[in-house]
Amino acid sequence: MQPALFVKNLHKTFRNGQNLKAVDGVSFEVNPGEIFSLLGPNGAGKTTTISMLSGLLKPDNGGSDIRIMGRSLLNEPLAAKAMIGVVPQDIALYQDLTARENLVFWAKMYGLKGAQLKTRVAEVLELIGLTDRANERISKYSGGMKRRVNIAVALLHQPKVIYMDEPTVGIDPQSRRSILDGVIALKNQGMTVLYTTHYMEEAQELSNRIAIMDQGKIIANDSHENLIRLVGQKTRISLSINDEPETMVDAWKNCIGVSTLVVEESRLNLLVDDSNVVLPRLFEAAAAKNIRITSVEIQEPNLETVFLHLTGRALRDG
Amino acid sequence: MKSLTIALNDLRRSFRSTFALLFMFVIPLLVTGMFYVMFGNIKNDDSLTLNATKVALVNLDAGSGQTGQIGQTLVDALQNEGLTDVMEITLVKDEAAAREMVDTQQAAVAIIIPANFSDSFSDSQAEVEVEFFQDPTLTLGPQVVRSVLNQVLDGYAGIKITVAEALKLAKSGTLPYEEITRIVNEYMAATEYSTESTPLIDQRTPAAMPEKNPMLALIGPIMAGMMIFYAFFTGANTANSILHEDEEGTLQRMFTTPTAHAEIMRGKIYSVGLTVMVQIIILMLAARHIFGIQWGALASAALTALAIAAAAAMFGIMLVSFLKNTKQGGVIFGGLLTVTGMLGMVNIFTGNPQGAPLGIVPLFTPQGWATRAILASMDGAAVETILPYLLALLAMSILFFVVGVWRLQRRFA
Repeated sequence: MQPALFVKNLHKTFRNGQNLKAVDGVSFEVNPGEIFSLLGPNGAGKTTTISMLSGLLKPDNGGSDIRIMGRSLLNEPLAAKAMIGVVPQDIALYQDLTARENLVFWAKMYGLKGAQLKTRVAEVLELIGLTDRANERISKYSGGMKRRVNIAVALLHQPKVIYMDEPTVGIDPQSRRSILDGVIALKNQGMTVLYTTHYMEEAQELSNRIAIMDQGKIIANDSHENLIRLVGQKTRISLSINDEPETMVDAWKNCIGVSTLVVEESRLNLLVDDSNVVLPRLFEAAAAKNIRITSVEIQEPNLETVFLHLTGRALRDG
Repeated sequence: MKSLTIALNDLRRSFRSTFALLFMFVIPLLVTGMFYVMFGNIKNDDSLTLNATKVALVNLDAGSGQTGQIGQTLVDALQNEGLTDVMEITLVKDEAAAREMVDTQQAAVAIIIPANFSDSFSDSQAEVEVEFFQDPTLTLGPQVVRSVLNQVLDGYAGIKITVAEALKLAKSGTLPYEEITRIVNEYMAATEYSTESTPLIDQRTPAAMPEKNPMLALIGPIMAGMMIFYAFFTGANTANSILHEDEEGTLQRMFTTPTAHAEIMRGKIYSVGLTVMVQIIILMLAARHIFGIQWGALASAALTALAIAAAAAMFGIMLVSFLKNTKQGGVIFGGLLTVTGMLGMVNIFTGNPQGAPLGIVPLFTPQGWATRAILASMDGAAVETILPYLLALLAMSILFFVVGVWRLQRRFA
């Protein structure tokens, strides 16, 4: 089966003063009808990757290949771009135009015209539930409504593949839920979705497969279940103490059964082999230093644990 | 076709911006309107409402045995009855006294006819200068006086040639000296009589303009200047939408659509040209309707408008190509466009449309050529006459286009 999206060996280095390697040898495939998530902290290279897959940035080396429904983005850019709809991370709409005017303009940019254009604009407005307010300027809309129009633009030409770059950043829980439901609905219609996020819950809920990115590289790429298996029986324990977290770092790191320890804000996050065995040791070590543990949280393995296991850092460290 | 879609979208957005509308239409018309109010109601009053300009006139001309007192004929011409509404002349004995009158604001202008004025007519190689000294705080009155003086002196240039040629004939013995003297006197008499009519101001009045309304000769250039000044602002401001869209993400979004980069950039360039063109057309029509300003023959005015729109648009594109972000735009546009605009239109704003106080400096700016073209068109010049100005604007536009597009393509490739 031909993949909906084929990505091979992407590299990108920004040379603004210092050589910053934003993307370093990224390769993956997305199957038709699949939701594929790129999960990683801010600065992991997700947006740079999606920019290259959208034709906004050119990959550095000559060995790269990007194929969308079999069309090479590098050799046949217009044909390949006709297959994709891109939902940018920030709202990219004309604030001084109405939602309808925005949609008509972008529909024309996607090559729609005449009756087809009118029909698609009406359908998309209906889909995002803004038909009644279509003639209001975008500047009057709430953040959630703007996000919905931002997504609607990418759906106008009924693309085969849709890229969504962190579409839920900075919006209220209700709008976020609405967007996540929308993504699932798109998948159910047979659309292929490439979704980037730094929220593991979103990746976990939506994705058929998840690629975890860190420092420009894909460090794991599999289904949610298979990724969890990577950490084996390890458990994540999150603790807070009545002193600076750094006070206990060395003592707990040396406890038997602790494989990873990171400080995240005021908490200490540990990856341990067996929480029942390790927890008493942690309390003993704290008591020896006259430190009191004020809270303990034990988590079953999840994507956060996977990231901690693979990188030694918390997903939100960035 | 997508480039046209982009251009029309930008045009629509420009016309929704209060700020843009203010700068495109309201301010140019408002400034001209202020002059309109200051100097009288143009449409309903055919009389000139400017006060006569006070002129201190010094005639130092000693006369010549061969040509007589030609300086006195110049004095007579300037004291002609037809000019009393324009100039109030006081004869002064010496140059210092005349200058003092201007310095103390008893006169707006001093005109000094030099001692060798008549002598210069018998020597074709001799050069003579009638000095013009004006109160630097005044513009419109001295402009009118200078205009009159220039035209009178143009007439004397013809006399000088006639006298010089006649004297050559006399020296060669081809004609008797008495016959030569008679011919010269007749010519001079004829030219002297010509000053009895009052064509002097009307010659500066645009050809298509009602002759009885000389005020339009003052308001017209001001309106033209305002139009050019703000057309270049509109060009830069509209071109700045490229950077605005870059910052707001809509430009990148366009690049993700199946549209060639070149077509997108073409659309942005069309949008700048189209917006400036619409602005110029509306301003010309509005100025004609409100102030009665005539822009010249249709072909000349249309070609001039087109050339100004092209130059303003391409200048804007080039400026924007050097900017990093829209924040820089405010400073650059405010500074550079004001300087080039004032340099280019110095002739209008110093009240000296014919002369050039800064020499050829205005011609280094597109606004300078635009000013020349539009003033010539308003004077009723045919297309052939303004063609050099239009070609200069076209050449500048091509240069701006090449630099601007090259830089933008490198940036957004």
